[in-house]
Amino acid sequence: MNCCRANCVLAKLNMNFKIRAATTVDCKDISRMIMELAVYEKMPDEVKISREELERDGFCQNPFFQCFVAEVPDENKPKEGFAIVGYALYFSIYSTWTGRSMHLEDLYVMPQFRGFGIGKGLLTAVAKVAKEKQCARLQLNVLDWNTPSRDFYAAKGAEDLTANEGWHLIRFQGQNLDALAIETPKN
Amino acid sequence: MAAVKMDFTIRPAAKSDCKDIWRLIRELAIYEKVVDEVVLSYEEFERDGFGKNPLFESLVAEVPEENKSKEGFTVVGVALFYYTYCTWKGRAVYLEDLYVMTEFRGCGIGKGLLSTLAKVAKEKLCTLLELDVLDQNSRSRAFYAAKGAWDVTAMDNWHTLRFDAVSLNKLANEAP
Repeated sequence: MNCCRANCVLAKLNMNFKIRAATTVDCKDISRMIMELAVYEKMPDEVKISREELERDGFCQNPFFQCFVAEVPDENKPKEGFAIVGYALYFSIYSTWTGRSMHLEDLYVMPQFRGFGIGKGLLTAVAKVAKEKQCARLQLNVLDWNTPSRDFYAAKGAEDLTANEGWHLIRFQGQNLDALAIETPKN
Repeated sequence: MAAVKMDFTIRPAAKSDCKDIWRLIRELAIYEKVVDEVVLSYEEFERDGFGKNPLFESLVAEVPEENKSKEGFTVVGVALFYYTYCTWKGRAVYLEDLYVMTEFRGCGIGKGLLSTLAKVAKEKLCTLLELDVLDQNSRSRAFYAAKGAWDVTAMDNWHTLRFDAVSLNKLANEAP
């Protein structure tokens, strides 16, 4: 679930920005941008979790995810007044072949802030954490029609496992997950 | 429908199961013809699963002594999983490996592991259970489809991308 237009060779103009770890206060902005990303991906009705759940799950004792945000100074804020203009949400995963890995769940930069290196800054910040945690891999998912994102990641060395090796992501949710859980054998 | 009636128990793995789980995932890698790609060591695996901050959990399937395998094993199946997150749906579970020893298939053990995992997922307020399968693995795809799974790649056009160690290292060096 990623959206970051492939950069021009040169940045359009200079833009000051800072990449930092998200705090609970940032959840309102992260929620806003999750919805913006879902709109871009043509699936806004799929967003079901609330800001409160996001805050609970990201900042509890054993958080389900970590997040970086991109912040701009006052003079660069958009007309709506937001200082947080991008985010990268990620979490640890595991491969029984190669061990510790990282998954990049979302990478998003508001449209008017693209082309300044913010997406690259967010991605490389996650990659740095992955390396510090001795991860052998960084994985993510993109939609096949999302050419700007696919080009962005391919240019940075990502391999398309679906296209090259035939991997399919399979999901149980809703009634199908409930039905599966009810079938649990009685020991 | 189980071909053979077999008593078995599904339970969360303990540290004492680590060697059996390792054995089973190695067997799975051999079955998938990818054992040469397994670079993880047993010591790393034990540290990551049963150390201070576990990165994964497992359910194991155990048979009574009288049904043990010809080599004498009673732990005959495993579902290895971890918690993930979906920014649309919230807490999720990812099934990394599901494996049952060949001589114990057809007894409902695989189905039992999957269902127990679904129950664990729901107890932890997860709304999704996800996994990956290869498109040529028709048997597994049919197994999961029969249980109501949705093929997110085929139906919604999602692709999985990966940065391997070399490209990940390069990216990390570019961090601001």
